[in-house]
Amino acid sequence: MSGCGLFLRSAAAARLGRALVAFTASRRPLRTSPPSQAFAKELFLGKIEKKEVFPFPEVSQDELNEINQFVGPVEKFFTEEVDSQKIDREGKIPNETLEKLKSLGLFGMQVPEEYGGLGLSNTMYARLGEIISLDCSIAVTLAAHQAIGLKGIILAGSEEQKARYLPKLASGEHVAAFCLTEPASGSDAASIRTRATLSEDKKHYVLNGSKVWITNGGLASVFTVFAKTEVVDSNGSVKDKVTAFIVERDFGGITSGKPEDKLGIRGSNTCEVHFENTRVPVENVLGEVGGGFKVAMNILNSGRFSMGSAVAGMLKKLIEMTAEYACTRKQFNRNLSEFGLIQEKFALMAQKAYVMESMAYLTAGMLDQPGFPDCSIEAAMVKVFSSEAAWQCVSEALQVLGGSGYMRDYPYERILRDSRILLIFEGTNEILRMYIALTGLQHAGRILTARVKQLKQGNVTTIMETVSQRVRDSLGRTVDLGLTGKLGAVHPSMETIVEEQLVLKRVANILINLYGMTAVLSRASRSIRVGLQNHDHEVLLANIFCTEAYYQNLFALSQLDKSDLRREERGTPRNSEHWHPTPTVLTRLSPPAVGMTKWLLQQILRKISMN
Amino acid sequence: MRLLRLREVKAFFQGHAASHQLGWNWIPRLSLSPKGLKILAASLSCCGCPTGKGMSWAQAILLARGLSRGWGGICSTALTGAPFSQVTPQAPRGLHCSTAAHNPDSPLVPRPPEPQRGLVKALAPHEELFRQAPDGVRDKASFVQAVQNFTQYNVHKRGHVDFIYLALRKMREYGVERDLAIYNLLLDIFPKEVFRPRNIFHSIFLHYPRQQECGIAVLEQMENHGVMPNKETEFLLTQIFGRKSYPMLKFVRMKLWFTRFKNINPFPVPRDLPQDPVDLARLALRHMEPDLSARVTVYQMPLSKDSTDATDPTEPHIVGIQSPDQQAALAHHDPARPIFVEGPFSLWLRDKCVYYHILRADLLPPEEREVEEIPEEWNLYYPMQLDLAYGRSSWDDYEFNIDEVEEGPVFAICMAGAHDQATLAKWIQGLQETNPTLARIPVVFRLSASSGELLASSSGLEETPLTPPEGREEEENNQQRQQQSQS
Repeated sequence: MSGCGLFLRSAAAARLGRALVAFTASRRPLRTSPPSQAFAKELFLGKIEKKEVFPFPEVSQDELNEINQFVGPVEKFFTEEVDSQKIDREGKIPNETLEKLKSLGLFGMQVPEEYGGLGLSNTMYARLGEIISLDCSIAVTLAAHQAIGLKGIILAGSEEQKARYLPKLASGEHVAAFCLTEPASGSDAASIRTRATLSEDKKHYVLNGSKVWITNGGLASVFTVFAKTEVVDSNGSVKDKVTAFIVERDFGGITSGKPEDKLGIRGSNTCEVHFENTRVPVENVLGEVGGGFKVAMNILNSGRFSMGSAVAGMLKKLIEMTAEYACTRKQFNRNLSEFGLIQEKFALMAQKAYVMESMAYLTAGMLDQPGFPDCSIEAAMVKVFSSEAAWQCVSEALQVLGGSGYMRDYPYERILRDSRILLIFEGTNEILRMYIALTGLQHAGRILTARVKQLKQGNVTTIMETVSQRVRDSLGRTVDLGLTGKLGAVHPSMETIVEEQLVLKRVANILINLYGMTAVLSRASRSIRVGLQNHDHEVLLANIFCTEAYYQNLFALSQLDKSDLRREERGTPRNSEHWHPTPTVLTRLSPPAVGMTKWLLQQILRKISMN
Repeated sequence: MRLLRLREVKAFFQGHAASHQLGWNWIPRLSLSPKGLKILAASLSCCGCPTGKGMSWAQAILLARGLSRGWGGICSTALTGAPFSQVTPQAPRGLHCSTAAHNPDSPLVPRPPEPQRGLVKALAPHEELFRQAPDGVRDKASFVQAVQNFTQYNVHKRGHVDFIYLALRKMREYGVERDLAIYNLLLDIFPKEVFRPRNIFHSIFLHYPRQQECGIAVLEQMENHGVMPNKETEFLLTQIFGRKSYPMLKFVRMKLWFTRFKNINPFPVPRDLPQDPVDLARLALRHMEPDLSARVTVYQMPLSKDSTDATDPTEPHIVGIQSPDQQAALAHHDPARPIFVEGPFSLWLRDKCVYYHILRADLLPPEEREVEEIPEEWNLYYPMQLDLAYGRSSWDDYEFNIDEVEEGPVFAICMAGAHDQATLAKWIQGLQETNPTLARIPVVFRLSASSGELLASSSGLEETPLTPPEGREEEENNQQRQQQSQS
């Protein structure tokens, strides 16, 4: 196994040489043309950027071979040597396992090769993520290390910082952690309490404060810490702004609390980290002083896309195990797999896994395209879709397994516990839905207001364009998403739209579905074209998903049409809530109330029969 | 028209003859005098039918009905000898047209039991039943005893309608006005099966109106006290009046609406209000304050009544409420702007009226209001504000129709035993302990004139409460209060 690791390292070294030569040419070439608009943003304007998503991004043959070289040994290691159950029981990843992970190079997957990492492209990273997620604790530890922990240094670090920290981080000698969350501050940057004050000699910042729920907080020796600093504005006023720092444990004054006892991902180390008069040299400011907010946002936005493939990998493994059970367990002389209700569950799992895999690789492929495309919306979509699908699928799998799914002797309940965190970390799904909808609407709103302005000023070409668009629309060819435009559900005056979270949630859901449909269609059509094995199966899955998503979207759109969406479904947990005690089930139903229920049922039945 | 009248007459004849043949000794007590009928007709014309035709028609029916009753009674007495003998002594008093006798001035629709003074005097014999309670204890047992006495000593239930009306009036005194069992007991007094309509015409026209009205009166009192009738009530009503009768209709309506209206008030007031003014104030303040985290503070307890009676009347209770949000708002208040103590305002809790004062400020003029601005770097995940360039031009409509009237903030509410400035100043002093900024803000007392009239009327209302002695005490309190406020 160690030989395998050595091989990997040497392969990385070989690549390093190659990369140094071809760096400027191959990596991110200079572009003079404006970067292409991201797919999701254009979707908000009712346009589908076909060239971004069709055909499905392909990986070159070299890269494919390389991936396979990596994947083989890693997969072998995970299936043979990692004892997930033991990790879960003891709440700790054994040191040998960690060492092995380090020797496989998995601590520096996306660190550029010149700093000793593997320098994997996003697609390859996604592929490896599929394997790593076979053990969620390890996956989370690795993700906290490189998807957010050291990502700041890659994205915003200076050359000196990169050269100083990245090699050790890539080799796994140092573990990184990302310290943003505080007791009073989740996604609210204004309420960050940790403070960094410049010392007298202006060479150090003195850091004070505490951070909670820091993954790898106990293992890490390099922290990316966000703290408030005083910044003098351009007009001379002093303001508190967030600044990012690279903090080494050796700077002193850092203590970590005891590891938290968690529901899932118990092997990963999560704890509080306290900073007490930690002296951070001025050189360790990440990015600009006062520019920490942007750094944090960039790190968070870039860390998400890999979740789709990771979840897909986990799900595929789970489907495999569940299928084995369903095909061997006999009831009434028939295998479980012969029952329609069980088959339905497998269809659901296969479909979800297929969709999230397609979305994840499509996003990875888009990210790998030259020109620093901004795919943060797509990444958020992938994260939301895959985490929710994971929870649903794991639950269905447990249903298939019946009692043994509930027993601690089997791995299934652990997977259920582990997958619950997916909906929460890296931005809860609610917050990400807001992000998806608002970022998209902002883009659409800017363009629409600009157009309205031009119309008012009497710009002839714009008027002609709009009129011709109307004519084309009235001829009934284009797809009208119904989101924008005069008769659209979302009125262009969006001053209060930020507060309309129920509307935004539906907008986000529609967009996620659309992106999923695009990804699936793109992938399935590629499969037909290339003539892959079982591509008829893929087409079937794509069809199922598209039909479902289509109806979901229609439903969401019809909900958006309703004007009082906000009042209808929101039970405001206000202070005065206790004035309206909900009657318990045992509260007697009076005969007229029973009559009402009956009437309602009749109405519902009539509606169903009409459809 | 004419045909109908004839038929009606016939129908009533037959109906009543039939009922009397069955052997009941129900003989109307008052006579069918031409004068009575005229009064009835006049009253009907006053309040009833707008058209002349209708009036004459109704008149005719009533005429016919009265006739039929009288006639039927005479017939039955003439025909059946034996049962008549019991009734003979009453016969000279004459035959009775029940509707006309009960309340000549009111229309024929069901109405609340408002017995006239004259009738009350006439009912003296029944009143005795309620007086003979052993040691003057007025409770459920003695009430039940009175009712049982009536049914026992009055086998033929003579005058039961009057007794029921009397009993309904007495219920409050005995504290049983919310007791369903008692109502059922009262309904049980009615003779069964007698008043059930026998045929379609009985059910179309008010059959035994006086009895039906009495039944309705019982149900109405139940309704007024929020007593939900039960199966037993239904059973009794069907036995007494039958399914197609007005009391039954009332019952069905109660069944329908009670369930819907019972919990319709989202801010329910407890059924029995606390007697202690401090507790009452506490309840009222909690009732007004929407914020659950608000804290009630008793700034001054009233001096206990027995220790000092009127030696030092200047220690009324002061109870206040303030929520943390209000506290914060007061802390941010600009000391240059005065705040006001206003009141008293009235608040009704069931049948009690309490008065409260508020501490409030005027609304800031629009140019001084701080606009809450969204910091630039606030949310790590999504934009809190969409910065879109809305170019407004002459096309756009600037005028919105806004129906909201903004008011200044209210900082605290209090309830005090007295409404004078001295007492309220004590409240402000108490508030200063938790709100230090209040010491620097000028407080203006804007107290409206004394609300003596309402107080007097409310004490008048309290003349017939459950416990008369306390009511009297409160009255005294009120008088004291009035004196204070006048002085």
